[in-house]
Amino acid sequence: MGSAEVSEGRSEAPRRDARPPGDGLRAGAQGDGLRAWLFVLPALAIYALFVLAPVADSFRMSLFHWSSAGATPEWVGTANFARLARDGVFWSALWHNGLLLGMSLAVQIPAALLLATLLSYPIRGRALFRTVFFAPMVMPSVAIAVLWSYVYLPEQGLLDGVIRLFNASFGGDWLGSPRTALACVFVTICWRFTGFYMVLFMAGIASIPEELYDAARMDGASEWECFRHITLPMLRPMIAVAATLCVIGSLKYFDLVYMMAQGAPEESRELLATYMYRLAFESGQGRFGYAAAVAVALFAVAFAVAGTVTWWSRRRDE
Amino acid sequence: MRWLRPAILAALLAVTGYPLVWMTFSALRTEGDLRAQPFALPMRPSWENYRAVFAGAGFGRAYVNSLLVACAAVAVSTGAAAAAAFAFARMRFRGREALFLLFLAGMIIPPHVTLISLNRLMGPGGLDLKDTYLALIGPYAGFALPMSVLILRTAFEEMPRDLEDAARLDGCGAFGIFWHVALPLARPALATVVIFNALTIWNEFAFALTLVSDRGMRTLPLALWEFKGERGMMLGQTCAALCLAVLPLLAVYFAAQRQMIRGLTAGAVKG
Repeated sequence: MGSAEVSEGRSEAPRRDARPPGDGLRAGAQGDGLRAWLFVLPALAIYALFVLAPVADSFRMSLFHWSSAGATPEWVGTANFARLARDGVFWSALWHNGLLLGMSLAVQIPAALLLATLLSYPIRGRALFRTVFFAPMVMPSVAIAVLWSYVYLPEQGLLDGVIRLFNASFGGDWLGSPRTALACVFVTICWRFTGFYMVLFMAGIASIPEELYDAARMDGASEWECFRHITLPMLRPMIAVAATLCVIGSLKYFDLVYMMAQGAPEESRELLATYMYRLAFESGQGRFGYAAAVAVALFAVAFAVAGTVTWWSRRRDE
Repeated sequence: MRWLRPAILAALLAVTGYPLVWMTFSALRTEGDLRAQPFALPMRPSWENYRAVFAGAGFGRAYVNSLLVACAAVAVSTGAAAAAAFAFARMRFRGREALFLLFLAGMIIPPHVTLISLNRLMGPGGLDLKDTYLALIGPYAGFALPMSVLILRTAFEEMPRDLEDAARLDGCGAFGIFWHVALPLARPALATVVIFNALTIWNEFAFALTLVSDRGMRTLPLALWEFKGERGMMLGQTCAALCLAVLPLLAVYFAAQRQMIRGLTAGAVKG
């Protein structure tokens, strides 16, 4: 992925000197060897202990049957994965990750594009709009989950409250019904993240030279044509970055789905991460080996998709 | 059509802002009042809900815990990441590219994949750190590293070579150049890294939920979650608890929003 700087364009000052990158400190023919490793060591130690080793350990655990914290793990080879392949909840979780991904791309990014474009026109109180639209990004997801559970509360919630103005006997179990639970959580997820992409696009639009628009308007271009032929093409790199973030983020996603959709039936609410979590840590579960197999699947999906996206965007760039 | 743009924006502003306004108002209304009329303004504001939250919910302690954990994890990860990024940007050594890629890969790893193993690592059979600050500081610092290393490496690469040479003439070694030249120059990037990681860690939920069970060690998100479990039926009190958790954060955001927006977006886009 590129490394676009937001809000402030990368300075045009000499970025690196003529010498090849990394040929920094004077060093012997072998480079900085030991001294360089001393600089890297603290980070590597923390990273290895708390990230890499646990990942490796999850791979190992996925080959064991381990039914509770007290039990002794028992080697079962790939049996956990064979079971995974027949597990309806697992496949539904994978499907939901795909839905979340598609929904994020199809709703959040266009909505953010719309907001950023509308805010690019002179308008009173632009700062207020930006501040409020971005505010959900700053809130803890627990607070968002608690707040939105009141939006969806049957009968007394904010949503039913509005509907009952027209139909006084209405009461929908939004977060408990298998048909609506995940969709409702998705709406909340959009509420949380759209402002983030909006800010990205606002920064992108701000860096488009105003003369392009002036020239186009002079030639009689409509607002829509300006958007279609100037804004959109100029924003393309930014949109690609946003889409990549969207894809990786939706595969990893956990928080709001776990917290809000608790009351819905299993097949209708899980993502890969939440399913893994419940298998391991929900009371009465503790199926660590099987949960590790789900974790490995999640890991594989994340890397496969991220690899594909990277490869695809590189190929486009060339 | 002139009115259309502001109209769309205003409508979206209402939808986005309404839950926040409702939360703030509901915290100031009594339980009975709320049940009778969920959407009224707080005509006679009452601080009763806030008083009830402070009595016994342990929010003060949770604030302190969150603050300690976030500060420690950010300090550790930023320090370690800066040193590593400096080596990646300005030094030559075998395995540099491979090692850097290893750090980059961390941005794709779904954090929850490590929870089962971390749970074991922190358990009685391993480091036995559960219900201590270290149980959270370690993993938080670890997962903050990839993004920090990437952003700081870019910043260090932009450091002009002349400065480095001048410092060397003055007798600076590698560490001297890192400490006296590179770090001060990279201050904006350091601010970005600190803001991004501090906010992510302050709001983190799933790790805290598994690695902390002692009430006295809970972070703020955990305290809020348990508050909802215990008194979720008390609409007013829960809204007061929400305000206590969210409003200080929003206040910081309003005060320093330029830095915060840049910290969050630049942090993510570098990914």
